[in-house]
Amino acid sequence: MPEFSKTPVIGARHIYKTYGQVKAVQNVGFTIQRGTCVGFLGPNGAGKTTVMKILYGKGEPDPNPDTEINVFGYDPRSHQLHIKQLSGVVTQEDSLDEELNVEQNLQVYAKFYGMRHRRAAARIDELLEFMELGEKKRSRIKELSGGMKRRLVIVRALLGEPSLLILDEPTTGLDPQVRQLIWDRLHLLKRSGVTILLTTHYMQEAAQLADDLLIMDHGKVLLTGAPQQLLTEQIEPYVLELKNKQRAGEIEPKFGSERIRKEEYTERILYYSHNNGMLNSLIGGLSPSEYHIRQSDLEDLFLKTTGRKLNELQ
Amino acid sequence: MNSSNQSARSAQPAPAVDKAHKEPALPHIQPADVQKPPLWARLYAVWYRHVRVYARNIISNGLPPFLEPLVFLVGIGMGLGAYLTKMEGVPFLEYLATGLLMTTAMFTSAFECSFGTFIRLEYEKAYDGMLAAPITVWDLLIGEILWAGTKGFFFTLAVLVVIYGFGILPIGLSLVAPFIGFFTGAMFAALSLLVTSFVKNINHFNFYFSGFISPMFFFAGVVFPVTNLPVIVRPISEALPLTHAVRLTRAFSFPGEVPFLWADVIYILIFTLLIGILGVRRLKRRLID
Repeated sequence: MPEFSKTPVIGARHIYKTYGQVKAVQNVGFTIQRGTCVGFLGPNGAGKTTVMKILYGKGEPDPNPDTEINVFGYDPRSHQLHIKQLSGVVTQEDSLDEELNVEQNLQVYAKFYGMRHRRAAARIDELLEFMELGEKKRSRIKELSGGMKRRLVIVRALLGEPSLLILDEPTTGLDPQVRQLIWDRLHLLKRSGVTILLTTHYMQEAAQLADDLLIMDHGKVLLTGAPQQLLTEQIEPYVLELKNKQRAGEIEPKFGSERIRKEEYTERILYYSHNNGMLNSLIGGLSPSEYHIRQSDLEDLFLKTTGRKLNELQ
Repeated sequence: MNSSNQSARSAQPAPAVDKAHKEPALPHIQPADVQKPPLWARLYAVWYRHVRVYARNIISNGLPPFLEPLVFLVGIGMGLGAYLTKMEGVPFLEYLATGLLMTTAMFTSAFECSFGTFIRLEYEKAYDGMLAAPITVWDLLIGEILWAGTKGFFFTLAVLVVIYGFGILPIGLSLVAPFIGFFTGAMFAALSLLVTSFVKNINHFNFYFSGFISPMFFFAGVVFPVTNLPVIVRPISEALPLTHAVRLTRAFSFPGEVPFLWADVIYILIFTLLIGILGVRRLKRRLID
């Protein structure tokens, strides 16, 4: 463990946010240690982005005497400039200036951090190489693919040498190669001591990057903990996926006294159990294409925690 | 300090129920050593962004300011002007030309902070990107007003170059006009930001331009004197922002013939300040979630 771990750098208690009738964030709180990556997980509309925006002053929490927010020693409600100066933010939408090329976009943005031209130029070259965009320095924004734009926004967020990197769904809609590259670079940044906050609904991303997870739904934090710990504590380790629901009648009588949790979908049924042998004993008579036995993963945990029904924002 | 606080608290007997319901207190967090960028640097960064984006299309952006007054001066000034005598003791062409100095500042700034601002706000989401950097909403929008003022300066300068080129005015005190153009641009930027704060659909700006900006061409003393208007309409004309900008410009263009009024200066400054504050406050609600 690096020595900077176990130094709290972000703390929040009792954050509330209401939009009209919608309670977007309800009593959310957390503590985050330096140099860790914390993943905010939840369906669309869970309140993840709202919490992120509140942390850097782009959103304002409801006025409430109990609310406490501390980001690197500063309260975003009174000191957003200090927080923004030491943070980099990758917003959900790319918001790049289409009129300018890659390098010009970054030159313009470096001014916000008060960087001198020469220092900015060196930093831009270094970061473009870091995100493998060196050859695109003079390209127009229109010529960039979605993955390149995302990487450019990450470069932009890194210009000010942030201690805190906030990423709002950084890899949504990207192909696997780009996603791997971004994950790899985020690992490097984390190792160098950068604290990373990330919202995502990719379970694989959360498992890859996050030291700690916050699972949110309907504006509340439902579960927190390290991914592996959550999997051990919160969900049965094995799952049998029955792809043909019609066969349920043959399987379920075999349960006996075994505790098995059942999740029913339109075409499929998932059976969760602590007993792998038990699940294997159920499948006699099924053809291999009709079932699949596997270890349960974060996706199962996520669905168990946040429910399977779609909400109005999904 | 944090730990002594905690030991002091734990020394007191706390009800068990309360303990179970309360989250642990916020840990002590060592404030990071960081300086916020100074105000001038923040405003400059916003202004610089606009300059770079604008300068990217310098030909298509920079030529119209010269062409438009040319068309006007030739079409109306020389064509129609042949039938007209003096306006307020000034030859018509000179009268119209000095009015155009300010309408050009008005139009460029009104467009910039209505359609331009709306597009950056709703379509390009440019402000979301900018507000992730160390600036506040106030920095962002004041920077926007300063940029619109800068455009007002250069557009007025362009008209002035055309005016001098045609020999319509002798080079003189009228050199002050671009500076008045700056304040006129800032004034209409403030107003347009306020209008933008109410607009949900970009087409609604048509009401603003057809209903307010364009009529000012005729009711603010650009093509004919305000004194020619019916007595009932005159107070309205005096209330219009452009009237004061045009009168101020003429005071410098025709020194001795048109009086300089401090009232015009005060009107422009107070209008910009009050409407600007109102506009920024209202737009802030759309920029901060």
